[in-house]
Parts: sequence; structure tokens; C-alpha cells
Amino acid sequence: MSGLRIALPGGTLLEGACELLDSAGVIRLDPSRFDRELSVTEGGAVYVKVRPTDVPVYVEMGACECGIVGKDVLWESSRACYELADLRFGVCRLVLAAPRGSPLVQGVWPASLRVATKYPESARRFFAARSLNVVLIRLHGSVELAPATGLADCVLDITATGRTLAANGLIEVAEAGVSTARLIANLAALKTRNEAVGGLAASLRRAAASRRAEGAA
Amino acid sequence: MTGLDSLPPGARARGRADGFSDWLVGSAASRRQLTDRFIETFEAWGYGFVVTPLVEPLDTVAAGVGAARQSGLFRFMDSDGDLLALVGERTVSVARVVATQLHDGPFPLRLCYAGPVLRNQALNTGRRRESLQAGCELVGSTALTADAECMALAAAALERGGVHHVQVDVGHADFIPGLLESAGLDEPARDVVLGALARRDLVSVEAALESTDMADAERRLLLAFPTLRGGREILDTAASGLRGDRPTHALQELAQLWDLLDAHAITDRVHLDLGAVRDWDYYTGPTFEVFSEDAGFALGSGGRYDMLLSRFGAALPATGFVLHVDRCHDSIGRRDGAASAPWVLGVGWDDADAQPIALDAARRLRDRGVACACNLSAGGDADLHVTMHDAHWSMGGREERGSIDAAVDALSPREP
Repeated sequence: MSGLRIALPGGTLLEGACELLDSAGVIRLDPSRFDRELSVTEGGAVYVKVRPTDVPVYVEMGACECGIVGKDVLWESSRACYELADLRFGVCRLVLAAPRGSPLVQGVWPASLRVATKYPESARRFFAARSLNVVLIRLHGSVELAPATGLADCVLDITATGRTLAANGLIEVAEAGVSTARLIANLAALKTRNEAVGGLAASLRRAAASRRAEGAA
Repeated sequence: MTGLDSLPPGARARGRADGFSDWLVGSAASRRQLTDRFIETFEAWGYGFVVTPLVEPLDTVAAGVGAARQSGLFRFMDSDGDLLALVGERTVSVARVVATQLHDGPFPLRLCYAGPVLRNQALNTGRRRESLQAGCELVGSTALTADAECMALAAAALERGGVHHVQVDVGHADFIPGLLESAGLDEPARDVVLGALARRDLVSVEAALESTDMADAERRLLLAFPTLRGGREILDTAASGLRGDRPTHALQELAQLWDLLDAHAITDRVHLDLGAVRDWDYYTGPTFEVFSEDAGFALGSGGRYDMLLSRFGAALPATGFVLHVDRCHDSIGRRDGAASAPWVLGVGWDDADAQPIALDAARRLRDRGVACACNLSAGGDADLHVTMHDAHWSMGGREERGSIDAAVDALSPREP
């Protein structure tokens, strides 16, 4: 992967990203290496670990040619990048969830709704199709607390297993989208470094498909 | 109290609007020189320089760019209540000029321009709100030779400006829409695929294609999207199994264009890019983007836009391109380092009687192209110091002494 700079997302997707790069035969990277250093040069490529929301920033501005990031981050990002491949790991869902007593749980959409979310852009789009009087409240973490404290009527949040929602007495009402990890590329790099970027995309896509086939078997 | 606490919320960089830049001595000059190089190249190819306003009526802007991009402009109302916009690009302005003032020709008409464009970009994104664009429009010809000329000219201007490793990616605005139509996709399905392509979301493109019923040749081409790139040979690969008239015609035009670009001797820098994603409502034929290996953004882009002038009442075909001067300037700056302030020769004198002699020496040096700044009072530091009888100056770290004429000769640039 001659000379590519690849942005990897810190957090829950890092391990999956390293596993996929390994099974694609691209590079063997131990995720714990990034505990000590944020940038690893290996096999002629540079791997940097950045916050997931920063991956599209590095890629759009050309600081990295490619990046691996969750679709949930791309929903929120206004950065222009190519979304080259669905890497099929890191599956999670963006759902609307409400407390047991909410009319939403009975399938009734109230005329006005306060929604707490870390995903305001996705929420705006999700509610754009429904003529509700929605007030979005942007939070940066622990969104599940908002209904319990009276800050909001419901939440629009990411869930992988549903356990955190359930533990906070929240019931899924609707699904806004399903997110998986994606390979993204800089607009110019896809043209100027077509072979390297295309080669990376092809290897990761193959590896993702065969891992899914194994998983299904 | 820390520095931040002492500043009021919303404090601005002393008087400058957020998202805008000042250009200081050195970088302002190198940016202007780069623009000059581009304009000189355009003029050398017979393109006449025009200047259009920084402000256009919103209606004029709307004739060129879609609603989504209008909302990215700085818009305001003048005292008559007219809605105006600061221009976000200048092709529409040039099209307006041609359609309203130059519609009688003679054609083909070759025009070029350079000037600032403004976009109301979100803050703290690293994107510029004001940038400099230079471009050309070639109006009144449907011939592919006109498209080839624009591509060759864009590459020539960039190279003249000092951009290395110029790469021209040539596509065709009708290829993908035509391919989707000939594959038998109905209009809603086509819109889904084109919308995903416009967002450059190839995962959604793939998903949309998987769920639609279409012929294999077309599906294969569309799925190979990022790899539909290369030299003339990819046209044959792409054409195999293809049935529709529209995509076939686009491929034929690209084949002819390749030969024309070969005549311009630039095919070593050209890639055909069948998957080029461009504004399909705007472009009507061949399109292109210009890249350089060291830049993460396209340095320029262009293509044929045969419908735009008719929106101003003159049905004239046109092709053209724009170069993003600031991106080019960034790219050169990253390679060569930031431009330093140009060298200026300091000229001093020792008493009031010697001042006219010093000013005359400076005048002669300026005539020979040496920038001179004269001291504002007698004495003081100077690179060239003039007395009533002689001069002394420093050159290459050595102190020299001689007549005024000898000083002027020594400090003048050598004939190449």
C-alpha cells in the first residue's frame, strides 16, 4: 500500500479495523500499539489513530488518503469523501427509544417531542419526513439519562446490543438506520493514487466478504 | 486569570471576519504572480480578459447553480429590496455577459477571468470563505476540439504557474446517466443511483444496483466505478457488451477527445475516468478535473455546459474551466516553502546635497528592475550608500567602493 496514510478510528472500532487489515493481508497491527503511539509507520504506510469524528476531517483535507470510520459518523459529517466499501464490522443501529410510559411505546406520535441525541444531523433528517414539532437537544454523552431526568421525552441514539437502553428503562420505538464501518477516501487521492487506494479497497472488501461468509457458516 | 478568561465570548481576531484571511508581504505577491502566470497563459492562447462584478442578482446566480449551492452563498438585500449574492463562482457571470452583450459574436468567443469568489462555509472546518479563481470560457462551438483546447490550456497554465505532476482526469457527463437509462432503470431508481453517486457514496450505489433488475454489462461497469480509469484502452473494455446509444456515444466522444489530446501532446498526463462524478444538471458533455500528486483537492475543473447560456436567452454551446488559485498556491508553498518577502535594496545618503544623487541612482536601478527603498533621512543603514563623490555598497558579504556608475552597474541584474 505504497505510501498511503490511513486514519483509524479510536474506540470500539479500532480492534475490528486492525483485525480486518490483518485478515486482508494488508498489515498486522496490534491495537494496543496505539496506546503508546498515535502514528505507526509499517509496511510503507502510515496508520494514525484519531477520534472517530475526526477521521472524515483528516481524509477530506488530504492529511490521510484513506480512513476507516463508522457510517454513524458519516451521517453527521459534512465532509466530502468517497465512501468506497462497507467493511461490515462494527454493526450498530441508530434508534429512537422512549421510557415505558411514553405514548411512543404505544405507537402514538405526540404532536410535540423533545429528543436528546448525540446525532443532531441524523435526527434532523429522520424527523424531516414527519411533521412533528420536534425540539432537538444535543448532548455529548450518556444520552440515556435525558428521559429519566426530564430533560427530554425520548432519545435518538446508537445501540449495538440494546443493553444500555434496557438498563435505563428505554424501549426501542423506531429504527433510523443501521451503521457499519466504512472505508473512505480523499477525493483527489482516488484519482492521483488510484492503484494504491483501489488496491486497499479491493483487499478490505474481499476480507470483509469472506469474514461474513465464515460468520454465517 | 488566564488569557482565555479575560476575553469576552465571541471575541474576534481584531476586526477580521472569521473564516477570512489576510495575505501579507511575500505570500500576497507570490499569489498575485501565480494568478498573473495563469492569465498570461490564457491570453497567449487568445483568451480575452474580462472582469465581472463581485455581486450578482440572486436570480442570475440561481440560473447557474442549484438551490443547495445557493444556500452556501453570502446573500443580502440592497436598499431597493433586491436580493443579491456575492459570487461563489464566475462562469455564470461570464455566461450572462456573453448572452446579454456579446451574443452577436464573432464565435468562437474566448474569454478569461480571475477574481475572488465567496462561500459561506461553516467556521472551523479548514475551508476558505474567500478564494481566488481564474478560468476560461470558450463559447459558440460544439466541436470536441474546443473541449480538448480547454483541457490542454488548463494543464499548460498550471505548469506555467509552477505546479508539478499535473494530471488531467477526463470524463463525460452523459456516460453514467446514459448508462443507467440504457440499463432499463426507471427514473426513481436512476435518481437513487445518481444521488448516491453525487454524494460519492459507492456503498449505497452498490446496494441500489443489487436491488434493481438490470443487464449484466451495465451493472458490471457501474460496480467497477472507482476503477473505470485509464488510457484509451478502457474505452474498448467499457464498450464491450454495451447496447445503449447514449453511453456508446459518450464513449465515442471520449475516443475522439483522446486523439485530440494526443495532438496537443498531453496524453501522458491524461486519464480517462468513466466514473467521474460531476454535476449532471450542469454539464452536458466532456468534463475534466485537474490534480497534482501533492494536493488533496482538485486544483481545477471544467467541462461542456451547453444549456447554461440559453437560461440567459442565448442558446450557445460552451465549454470552459476554472483553476483554484489558492489551492495551487498552497500546493506550491508546501513544496517550496512559504514565499519570502521580495528583496529590496536599501539606498542611503550622507548629507542633504547627496540626496538627489542617491534618488537618481535609485531611479536608474529601478529602471533595470531592482526594487529600491530610499532612506527617509540622511545616514542610517543602507545596502548602497551614496556621498557627493562616490558610493559604497555591500555585495556577497564584501564591502565595495567606487563611482555611482560603478555601483549601479554592479547592483544591476546580470544579463542572462
